[in-house]
Amino acid sequence: MEILYAVLILLGLGLILGLGLAIAAKVLYVKEDERIDEVAKKLPNYNCGSCGYAGCRSLAEAIIKGEEENLRKCKPGKEDSNFKPIIEYLDQHPNEDGTKVKVHL
Amino acid sequence: MSTFVAFILAIASSMLIDNVVLSRFYGICPFLGVSKKVKSSLGMGLAVVFVITIATLICWPLYRLLELAHIEFMDTVAYILVIASLVQLVGLFIKKFSPSLYKSLGIYLPLITTNCAVLGVVQSNTDQGLSFLNSLANGLGTSIGFLLVIVIFSCIRVRLESANVPKAFKGLPIALIIAAIMAIAFMGLQGLFTGIKL
Repeated sequence: MEILYAVLILLGLGLILGLGLAIAAKVLYVKEDERIDEVAKKLPNYNCGSCGYAGCRSLAEAIIKGEEENLRKCKPGKEDSNFKPIIEYLDQHPNEDGTKVKVHL
Repeated sequence: MSTFVAFILAIASSMLIDNVVLSRFYGICPFLGVSKKVKSSLGMGLAVVFVITIATLICWPLYRLLELAHIEFMDTVAYILVIASLVQLVGLFIKKFSPSLYKSLGIYLPLITTNCAVLGVVQSNTDQGLSFLNSLANGLGTSIGFLLVIVIFSCIRVRLESANVPKAFKGLPIALIIAAIMAIAFMGLQGLFTGIKL
């Protein structure tokens, strides 16, 4: 019986908090460049930090903002599976003013 | 003594005398990690004040509910659930209204979840069987104490940058020595007032 109560109470608590967070996430939504997510997806996503940024997403953000041009900073990244798709993607998706995001190997 | 005066005294007591950072070594990770700039330490302190205060407000009735169902052993799990959600909320809020602060807090913001000061306060409220008002005073006092200490510490660290420190002590070593001196200084406040009951 105790276990049932424990499960029910924690389930209810989790449900309420989750719902609250879902609403908060909608209300406090921040619009970001969708290319950041795309580039982050194409990185290895080990979040190893060997590029000097806090994680793969931070590196993707720096690439899009033009702060980082050298993709080789990402040590575990492979040329065929990571870097080439990113270069290709950024070629097809230029900045709003028409200039391309500068990246090199 | 009126309840209000006792409430204020209880806040001051857990803020200055039983300062969690300096007397119990809770929350050392953000204390050392985010104290390089005054502005980010202030943001960190305020985020912790929010999380601890709301967490004590929610967890006290929550524990009564657990008591009702005779499942007190689930308290820590339930508290962590509440704290983690609150930290997520703070993260969303700061990201929306102060992206620069969000960036300077970095990984330390989600790490408030594992800040032992937060869980420590809520858990010790439960263990000591404090009343609701007393728990609230304890939470407020502890969190404001954390804010106070981290801001003072960051001010000292900013000054230290331009000080002539021996090479071996540059950076973290001298910061740890400063933390120790601060702890000794706060020890001087012991016995300022005792035996406050709410």
